[in-house]
Amino acid sequence: MNRRLSSHVTPYLLILPAVLLTLLFVYGVANGILQGFGIIPYLGLTTPTLDYYRAAFTRSDLSLSILYTFYLALSSSVLATLGGVALSAAITRVNMGRKGQLMGIQIPLMTSHAIVALFIISLFSGSGLVARLLYAGGLIDSMQSFPTVLGATSGWGIILVYLWKEIPFVAFCTVTLMSHMGDRYAEAAACLGASPLRTFFSVTLPLCKRTIAKAFLIVFAFAFGAYEVPFLLGATLPKALPVLAYVEFQKPDLANHAYAMALCGIMAGICIIVAIVYFQIMRRERKRPL
Amino acid sequence: MSMPNARAYKKAAWIFLVIYLICILVPIAITVAWAFTDYWPWPSLFPLGFSTRGLAEIFNSYSPVGGILLQSIFIALAVSFLAVVIAALSARALVHHDFFGKELFRFTTILPFLIPVTVFAMGVQVAFIRMGLANTVVGVIIAHTIVALPYATVIITDVTAATGARLEEQARVLGADKLQTLAHVTVPSLLPGILSAASMSYILSFSQYFLTLLIGGGTVKTFAVVMFPFLASGDRTIASAYGLVFLGVTFIVFLLFESILKRLGMREHQSFFS
Repeated sequence: MNRRLSSHVTPYLLILPAVLLTLLFVYGVANGILQGFGIIPYLGLTTPTLDYYRAAFTRSDLSLSILYTFYLALSSSVLATLGGVALSAAITRVNMGRKGQLMGIQIPLMTSHAIVALFIISLFSGSGLVARLLYAGGLIDSMQSFPTVLGATSGWGIILVYLWKEIPFVAFCTVTLMSHMGDRYAEAAACLGASPLRTFFSVTLPLCKRTIAKAFLIVFAFAFGAYEVPFLLGATLPKALPVLAYVEFQKPDLANHAYAMALCGIMAGICIIVAIVYFQIMRRERKRPL
Repeated sequence: MSMPNARAYKKAAWIFLVIYLICILVPIAITVAWAFTDYWPWPSLFPLGFSTRGLAEIFNSYSPVGGILLQSIFIALAVSFLAVVIAALSARALVHHDFFGKELFRFTTILPFLIPVTVFAMGVQVAFIRMGLANTVVGVIIAHTIVALPYATVIITDVTAATGARLEEQARVLGADKLQTLAHVTVPSLLPGILSAASMSYILSFSQYFLTLLIGGGTVKTFAVVMFPFLASGDRTIASAYGLVFLGVTFIVFLLFESILKRLGMREHQSFFS
């Protein structure tokens, strides 16, 4: 083959498998969203309708569900990002070694969210270890007087699960970069007389900003759309959006199915808005000098 | 002048890390304790008896958990292999080539980060049924690979960019052919990233519940799917035993990946993001 031609074709051959999988992903999402508009070709339904979205938005508990899910995802991702950056900074400072990183980062990465929900139940349910400790200390007089984590409307158990999982994840994303930046630039700043705290906030953190923002976005979208944890620990009312959508999805009626897909459309829409905000901020940051 | 200050920060970092490690390890220890006891009544702080009922019930029950475990490991290994190979090819295109649509492609590689997997799972189910991929191991592997691919791509693109093309060019100049260059230069230089991406993909597949449930349709059983109902059940001994087996198996596979890494002489993982 002509050398020039081959070098034009090569990149497309390289990305072909990834493109095929991405197309399948996009097809799946688009398919779901179209079903929410009543377009279900394999059933012969091709007329778009807003009925299911209307039904979703007139439902009294929907706005509460959206707010609740947004609150869970936002508080989990903000706290996890803060904690993860702090963890990353602490690891960089003390150089805790391979074994420490294995325990502190790899083990949480390996643990599935569902198992972490079990951890939280074992610790914070009415008969959990924390209630027992409080009882032994004379602070509560029965297991009923402990505010159990199961089904708590404030969702603090769900947030705890995400913190246990995502603080190490954010640290995993940032720790290598942070230690490199620390070696290269923070040392220079320290030599010029900056205090460690000042160095961290005005040198290391700005240099790691993009990576931290990316990790935040991943954690937010995950916590917003994940089914397992709110299903295991969430309240009956309000339900998190993914749980609400799956409840409708499982019902045999076609209308419920389309309705579930409308809820999926709302979920995807909110995540896309958050992503657009992220990309806008990133673009503005890129234009700014460091 | 700043020495005592630096020492104080180091001390604070240590205190933070010790508290953090306690928060990570205590719940695991409690789960191990629960897995090996049958009798831990309120308000006792310690289990009041030793029992292997939990593990025995998992492996001796009518459902063949051993086989399910093997199938889950097979699926996860297949996913990590596919994700790594596809990600390495994409990374090569992104780092070493300029082509029309590159930025669009770069954006689409992170799409599964932005749109929740639940939306994808419910939307794609019908398509998988019509393509004959639903309720098959192949279908589950494809679906898991889609979810794992963005992680693998980000990790391997970083390593590819950090390595650069110079080593490969050197090898070619010295007379190595394409295959030799790939085997002796390209793959070894990418190894830390490849193994990091592989273990990440493995974990994502092995712990995937919702997607597996919808695509596998209850026919393709993985350990994460079988375990899930028990976690919400009242029997904490069984639930904890499942958790213990999950963690044990994942940890063993992780150590395997680590030992490969060590044998190949790579000590340090590369960064996850640039």
